[in-house]
Amino acid sequence: MRWVGCAMALSLGILLAACRFIPTDQVSAIGAAGGTNGAAARDPDQMVASMWAAKVVPYFEKRAGPFLAVRDLAAKSPDEAGAKWGYRAKSEDTPWTLMVRIEGTIVAAETESRAGSIGVDASGRGKVDATVQIGPAMGGAAIRDALDFVSFGDFTNQIDFARFGKAFNTYVYHNTLEKLPRADIVGRKVTLIGAYALDSSGQPPLVTPVEITIGPKP
Amino acid sequence: MKVCYALVGALLASAAFIGTASAADLIAVITPSHDNPFFKAEAEGAEARAKALGYDVISLVHDDDANKQSQLFDTAIARGAKAIVLDNAGADATVAAVKKAKDAGIPSFLIDREINASGIALAQIVSNNYQGAQLGGQEFVKLMGEKGAFVELVGKESDTNAGVRSKGYHDVIDEYPDLKMVARQSANWDQTEAYSKMETILQANPGIKGVISGNDTMAMGAEAALVAAGRKDVIVVGFDGSNDVRDSILKGGIKATVLQPAYREAQLAVEQADAFIKTKAAPKTEKQLMDCVLINGANAAKLETFELKP
Repeated sequence: MRWVGCAMALSLGILLAACRFIPTDQVSAIGAAGGTNGAAARDPDQMVASMWAAKVVPYFEKRAGPFLAVRDLAAKSPDEAGAKWGYRAKSEDTPWTLMVRIEGTIVAAETESRAGSIGVDASGRGKVDATVQIGPAMGGAAIRDALDFVSFGDFTNQIDFARFGKAFNTYVYHNTLEKLPRADIVGRKVTLIGAYALDSSGQPPLVTPVEITIGPKP
Repeated sequence: MKVCYALVGALLASAAFIGTASAADLIAVITPSHDNPFFKAEAEGAEARAKALGYDVISLVHDDDANKQSQLFDTAIARGAKAIVLDNAGADATVAAVKKAKDAGIPSFLIDREINASGIALAQIVSNNYQGAQLGGQEFVKLMGEKGAFVELVGKESDTNAGVRSKGYHDVIDEYPDLKMVARQSANWDQTEAYSKMETILQANPGIKGVISGNDTMAMGAEAALVAAGRKDVIVVGFDGSNDVRDSILKGGIKATVLQPAYREAQLAVEQADAFIKTKAAPKTEKQLMDCVLINGANAAKLETFELKP
């Protein structure tokens, strides 16, 4: 019950935020705005809501590559895969964030934990090729880090930058993931576009979805 | 005019150096107290790289005192340093000092902590504390089984990273309503203070299951207090990736920490200072974030002086 109330309050907040008028020049100026001022215009949820449909989704649709091809090239040559389907801020040691389209079957589901996820078989082997976060608790900032028009240098400090990163997760949860079915989903088809940070853990990548559809029961 | 005086001062200072054995350029390294091994590693990383590149080095500590830091900047300026590598004493209070050096023609290369202004320092190379705190927070949640009472030990208020890490922890942990924070106190990054605070907290809250700490020295203090009270069952997670915590993890004490690539950051700052001194080439971006790595039983053995060995 507590969660439902919380979710309702949050959705209401997003609705209210969405009603506010944001001039488009201000939205596109996110890369140009000074680092130390403009606090009023920099509510992170509002920033994300205003750029989502106009900039974020089209960017992902254009840049995302077929998952298996991305994964396999990234294993051999991260820089090649990154240049083709990814982005990273230009400082040393920053991992690539890769953008992918996944089509597959749900072969595992973690819906007990609040860090909910589904395991997707994209190669037909019956094993998990990618783990996809479905919330409500979501980690990382893969969506923010995939965007080539967003830079840490445009934010006053790490906290502002972090809030902005988290706002993407909150947005996609309340607008998409929250509405996904949770019960009886193993065996169903899933298609999604999302992003993951390349790491060397050897585990299936942890993908944060931007758009996702779960099919009907087979 | 001010600039002229500063230049004259710098010229006099360098003239004074000509008479000495070494005519090498000077790099000033200014950090918090070396009592904390993290800052010691950072200072040593910068010093080693600078010496390898042929510089003289003065290594100074500001003890997290902004006034003292300002005096150390005066010293660096008067000594004619060609660059300052700085782990600063406050995100707002430091802006004036860095600007003073800039006006005197001396570039600052910041490591570890940010300042709340851009365009004054040539580089701000900082660990992605928020990303690291999320890693630590997620590991903590997992270790706790997503439920139970816990305590947070927070770092020094004046240090921007204390707030960033706390925010990173809470952005993860607060999504789990069954995890209940029963106490949250600052122990100022200090081991002894963390020990005594933990003792008191434990008396008031014997039911705690975990402690999440803003850094490793406080985690060490808390762990010692828990062991002394016979509470080895309490889960402790730290932040920094110190050798002390590595050893504790390997012995089954502290459960996890987050490695900041401190040694590498310090070296990188010196390399960027060197490039600027030799070619006037400023780093491409001022604000540079370096990712942190989760350290637990699986990889602790590879950790040595704030670096993960292959």
